[in-house]
Amino acid sequence: MNRKRIMYAIVLLLALAFPYITPDPDFWVSSGGARALWLGVTALSMSFLNRNLGLMSLGQLFFSGVAGYIVAISSVNHNVKFGTSVPLAILAGTLAGVLIGWIALKTKGVYFLMLTLAVTLGLYSFANQAQEITRGHTGINSVPSPIIFGIDFTYTKPLYYLFLAIAVALFALCKFLESTSFGIALKGVRDNEDRMISMGYRTMPLKMIAFVFSSFIASIAGVMGVFYVTNISPDSVGLIRSIDLLVIVVVGGATYLGGAFVGAALIAVFEAIIQDFTQYYVAATGVLFIVVLMLAPQGLMGISAQIRARRKNKEGSL
Amino acid sequence: MTQFIFTFLNGITLAGLYFLVASGLTLIFGLMRVINLAHGAFYLLAGYVSWTIADKTDNWFYGALAGSLTLGVFGTLVYVLLLRKFQYEELRVALITLGVSLVLAQAMLAIFGGEYYQTNIPESLSSAIPIPGLGLSYPFFRIFVLILAILVAIGLWVFISKTRYGAIIRAGVDDTTMVSALGINVQAVFIWIFFLGSLLVGFAGSVGGTTNSFGMGTDGDYLLFSLQVVIIGGLGSIGGVAIGSFLVGVIGQFATGYFPTFAGVITFAMLILILAFRPQGILGKKQ
Repeated sequence: MNRKRIMYAIVLLLALAFPYITPDPDFWVSSGGARALWLGVTALSMSFLNRNLGLMSLGQLFFSGVAGYIVAISSVNHNVKFGTSVPLAILAGTLAGVLIGWIALKTKGVYFLMLTLAVTLGLYSFANQAQEITRGHTGINSVPSPIIFGIDFTYTKPLYYLFLAIAVALFALCKFLESTSFGIALKGVRDNEDRMISMGYRTMPLKMIAFVFSSFIASIAGVMGVFYVTNISPDSVGLIRSIDLLVIVVVGGATYLGGAFVGAALIAVFEAIIQDFTQYYVAATGVLFIVVLMLAPQGLMGISAQIRARRKNKEGSL
Repeated sequence: MTQFIFTFLNGITLAGLYFLVASGLTLIFGLMRVINLAHGAFYLLAGYVSWTIADKTDNWFYGALAGSLTLGVFGTLVYVLLLRKFQYEELRVALITLGVSLVLAQAMLAIFGGEYYQTNIPESLSSAIPIPGLGLSYPFFRIFVLILAILVAIGLWVFISKTRYGAIIRAGVDDTTMVSALGINVQAVFIWIFFLGSLLVGFAGSVGGTTNSFGMGTDGDYLLFSLQVVIIGGLGSIGGVAIGSFLVGVIGQFATGYFPTFAGVITFAMLILILAFRPQGILGKKQ
């Protein structure tokens, strides 16, 4: 356990020092750091569900999209202050989780994946059609940056540290929840729901709380996304973006909370570098994804465990 | 009244197209428990292939044939090379197909660009048929699509539930080991199913690329339609696809015609409502 704490401390220190130690900070703090943190928080909402309930959700972008659109529309079209719109947007995204969870949690496995994907694609098609509300495929552009306590978050460094604070807080919250009796009961549901039911647990409320919590994280990520890219359009919740997110989760390691950030950092850096060489970087990410799924389904975080297991198997067979 | 009749005709012919699109998805899943989420990308690829061939040869039928066969072969390759090894891990297979869809989307964008395409209707099918009592006419090609869908539906049903091959397929899914022991090559059967399912979506893309325009983003749209259809109708059931296509097509068209802004929300509300009472879909088996 101690070793883990030391690891966390080193990663946190590196993240804090990142804007001062990276080459070309103007580029990397934004395209590497802040981007990875935003994508990482979105991916965290997915990893949390997968790790604790064994459910792979592609619906997280739905909640991000709901929250993001609310912030963007209210501030650009109606001049609503962020102090009002941001909490409302996060609340709306989280409540949307209650509705979707009520339906989706009746299903499992690949059905759950399909249903949640349909939910996200449904928002995509709505955002495209409902031009009066969402301005169609043009989207809502030039969303202003927030100014909190006199700090202007137009600049990348303050934005990076804001995102870092959010990411650390949410990661810690996930870890804390997992350590409570609620978190342990969740793992029980994941491993054998029938047994939990026969032990007298009411599993639906447990699953519901976990799902709504993950939609809460996704909603926060949606607001982060609007502040990071300063616009939102149907493509923000489209098929490609949904798969991108899945790539991050799987490449990082879908059964580890830290995998979300490892995957996000890797993909952000990978895309930033490869973008200069080829316009096919999305395809390259797709190929990477397929290779990881075929060879190392536990992702990067799981590689050492996978190698250990393989070595053990070999020794056993000798 | 005129608008009502036209909306209904549009809805029911669109339902025919949705049936063609989703039948391949449900066929493969129903028989092999493999869900292909690159289905929308397959549809779009077929559209491009058939457009290109029809344009080069000036013959719609060659285009449709090329679109169907290309996808049949391509789908089989994807199955053999990427999916077969993990066939019994449903989720992993589904995720791999999403990766395939990402790669395909980018490749198609690079080759065909961001413009929209539409294949020309063949001259022999381009007439319009009069609607009795209204003094208006309706394009025959759309009716043709509906007829095709009905023929495919009957064909699939007869094939799966009435023929010896269908019996082998159903048995192969229920108990692979036992069927192999009877001397039947189950792997070959699975390859043929995948070929047939991909051929169907290839055909759907060729036909759909003629009735509707297609381009970047069409893959996501048709993946959504297929998912809605199979979720509502019940995954793995051909009859379910028919009911799902009818509901999504007709209700979707009425919603688009009368409440354009909230069309997506209405279809979606229908989906939620049905799932609230039947999580496995209208004709789906309990999971």
